[in-house]
Amino acid sequence: MSGVLLALLLALQASPSPALQHLHAGLEAEKSGQLDAAVAEFQKATELDPELAVAFVDLGDIYIEKRDYADAIPPLKRAVELSPSLEGAHRLLGYALLAQGYASEAIPHLQKAHAEDALGIALLEAGKLPEAVPVLQKALSQNPNDPDLLYYYGSAAGQLSKQVFDELEERFPDSARAHQMMAQDYAVLRDVPSAEREFLEALRLRPQTAALHLELGELYARAQQWDKAEEQFQLETEVQPGSAEAFYRLGEALVQLGKFHEAREALVSSDQLKGDMPETLYMLGKAAASDGDDSLAQKSWLHVLKLEKDTALAAQAHFGLAGIYRKQGKTAEADREMDEFRKSQSSAGHTDDSPK
Amino acid sequence: MNRRITRRDFLEMCAAMGIALPATSALFDVKHPRGLDFNHVNSPTPQKYLIETMGGGVALFDYNNDGLLDIFLVNSGQLTNPMHQPEAFDRHDPRNWNRLYRQNPDGSFTDVTKEAGLANAGDGNYGMGVAVGDYDNDGFPDLYITNYGKNTLYHNNGDGTFTDVTAKAGVEAGGWSCSAGFFDYDNDGHLDLFVTRYMIWDTQHSKICGNEWQTYCPPAEFPATTNILYRNRGDGTFEDVSQRSGIAALKGRSLGVSFADYDDDGFTDIFVSNDGMRQFLFHNNGDGTFTERALEAGTALTADGKPLSGMGTVFQDYDNDGRPDILVTVLPREVYALFHNDGNGSFSYRSLQSGLGLLSAASSGWGVGFEDFDNDGWKDLFVAQSHVLDNVEVIDHMLHYKEPPLLALNHNGRFERADSGITSAIAGRGAAFGDLNNDGWMDVVVTSLGGAPLVLMNHGGAGHWLSISLRGTRSNRDGLGARVLVNGQVRFATTAGSYISSSDKRLHFGLGAAELAKVEVHWPSGAHQILENVKADQFLEVREPEKS
Repeated sequence: MSGVLLALLLALQASPSPALQHLHAGLEAEKSGQLDAAVAEFQKATELDPELAVAFVDLGDIYIEKRDYADAIPPLKRAVELSPSLEGAHRLLGYALLAQGYASEAIPHLQKAHAEDALGIALLEAGKLPEAVPVLQKALSQNPNDPDLLYYYGSAAGQLSKQVFDELEERFPDSARAHQMMAQDYAVLRDVPSAEREFLEALRLRPQTAALHLELGELYARAQQWDKAEEQFQLETEVQPGSAEAFYRLGEALVQLGKFHEAREALVSSDQLKGDMPETLYMLGKAAASDGDDSLAQKSWLHVLKLEKDTALAAQAHFGLAGIYRKQGKTAEADREMDEFRKSQSSAGHTDDSPK
Repeated sequence: MNRRITRRDFLEMCAAMGIALPATSALFDVKHPRGLDFNHVNSPTPQKYLIETMGGGVALFDYNNDGLLDIFLVNSGQLTNPMHQPEAFDRHDPRNWNRLYRQNPDGSFTDVTKEAGLANAGDGNYGMGVAVGDYDNDGFPDLYITNYGKNTLYHNNGDGTFTDVTAKAGVEAGGWSCSAGFFDYDNDGHLDLFVTRYMIWDTQHSKICGNEWQTYCPPAEFPATTNILYRNRGDGTFEDVSQRSGIAALKGRSLGVSFADYDDDGFTDIFVSNDGMRQFLFHNNGDGTFTERALEAGTALTADGKPLSGMGTVFQDYDNDGRPDILVTVLPREVYALFHNDGNGSFSYRSLQSGLGLLSAASSGWGVGFEDFDNDGWKDLFVAQSHVLDNVEVIDHMLHYKEPPLLALNHNGRFERADSGITSAIAGRGAAFGDLNNDGWMDVVVTSLGGAPLVLMNHGGAGHWLSISLRGTRSNRDGLGARVLVNGQVRFATTAGSYISSSDKRLHFGLGAAELAKVEVHWPSGAHQILENVKADQFLEVREPEKS
């Protein structure tokens, strides 16, 4: 790190000082992997020239390399005292402090060093969640494939969410949102009666809240209570007539209930609000086929196959098309679609019937 | 002989006397008939042996031809924790015996297991199910018991006793058998036997799944296996034709079997429900072979192309279009699969159209029947229900281990939940259907895993009915495989179907307001018989013409 600086200093000075000579020797030892020798050389350099910031930086750096974070901190602190603008020294000090659990102390140094990744982690560790989330998000945008960053980002976002919800519950326990939040928690636990109770209370307090009927409908759908789900999705489409999802879920519930004509209408609305959604198109095909409209079913499922290849939904579309073609007496087309379907199933273990 | 006063008699008497009865919407009374003291022993262990959760077969049949249905209940046996080799299930212990209960004229039952020669089902056999058929055409119904172990064929001697003829007949199968059924696949007048087998499994190769929940493993954890078709040679012995017929060409995880001639070619076809994979529809080619056609026919998978957790099955015409349809009971988050016979050799998935999406999506179904319980001329649906996993509530709060059975009345092909009168949840498994008290209204016996069976006696009502017994001459003696039409309704004569159970061989038809019926019988021999102006509300025996 300080090698370039040292080279510059050495070039400027016809006869390098003893401190610089030890510094140079330390760098050579570091290069050859002799870390303890390097420590000794950097130590001597700092003793000979207690104002030589770069020597303190190199001493701290070599301790970090040795994972001896506790011993790295004092020389790095001295370095930033001597030269507050040394970004590298701030970064190393920030790392060392963070590694030792002094997250709050590390933050200003990491800020000065613009070290977003470590700063985000330090903010998270220091409990400064609202600040941590955007910093980690920025770091992730620079290193999108870093699993550690993904972990910390997820952790920060989750903790922040919990913190905010806790605050909501504490400050506004009787609000519609607090009941909605409780309902969501119960829904995750699959406690249908408690989740239902909380959703209904939220709706009583604020009937027009967007997504409340949708969430309650989804709870009922997961519990296979499709008649109740239909009612809630219907109400959601009234609250949010522009929600493609509400219309899709309504269509799905109506299909489950065998109300295929109404399902088609809901799914067409969903498709109009947000086109090219494979799930919507598949369900529309299913509703149409069940309603006796093979033409619309065929069109919808072919559309699915334009959007999806080698997915479960594509396999289902092939299977549905095979049925339609067989009904129409188009044996070759039916066999072709069934072959496509079989290909997808052979890997899914659905036809474990070989004589072997 | 004292004539029993039936529910219908009572209602008519009350009506004549102007007595108003309190209104009740429940269709059945849950009865505890005197003498029926059976308690199923499945012996669940911490080892979660899969056999523990699968047993409980029941048969309704008149073993002594006294005109009253008797009840045979299959017990399972004792398991130890863990099991050791050789496997033994203490079937010599009377608590673990299968039981035959003879019905007495007053509706009570007498345990005749021992004198009938049916005690001790073999220590190496953990009991599953039962099939009933008169394989030797001597006029007395015989019993075939399926086991994890070796199956047993009991010949009915006609004097109240049975003889184990398994070895002579050559039908012990082996492995893990579940549902079985008698039918005449080659129309030679001798009942053949189909045996489903679940998987290749034994207690030494068992597994526990579910991590911290410690529960039964899904079927895919164990290898699939073949089913067995035995051809009746007509001399008291059977020949294993599984390979030659094409039945053994496919491996499944089979739990249920039902029979009907779905394409009306005069030969009985076979539907096999498989657990966690595609279903089988074996088309009878009429030359002793079968071709599996479920995918092409549309009965293999759901409308979404997804496999089913097939357990029980029934193969009867639910929408009165004259063609037999198929229903398969499954696990929750699937829907009981109803495959409508479209009449051109293909079926369409009609579960959602028929209302089953609402009725069954959260339930697990086992024994099942299409029977006209309210005699309105439409076959209703009854399903014994309970989850496979005895700790499912811990794993998923939205599901239940014990459930009340489902009764759904058929309104022009759409099913709507009705009050069965059963208020308690049970671990339902087997279900057999028949008119226990001969009042013209179909009753049900449902088994409960590790518990006592429920006897559901039909309250009765106002509709007329007709109960037909077939007496084959050229065909097999009970006419199994015949297609019987009454006033536009069709029933396929069978004792098989449901789950590991066997039902009354008599064919029950609800006639609604009709007091007369036209009866048509298409016998397996090819004989066709028409009876006009048959009076309703009677038990009618139809004898097959001796010559064509």
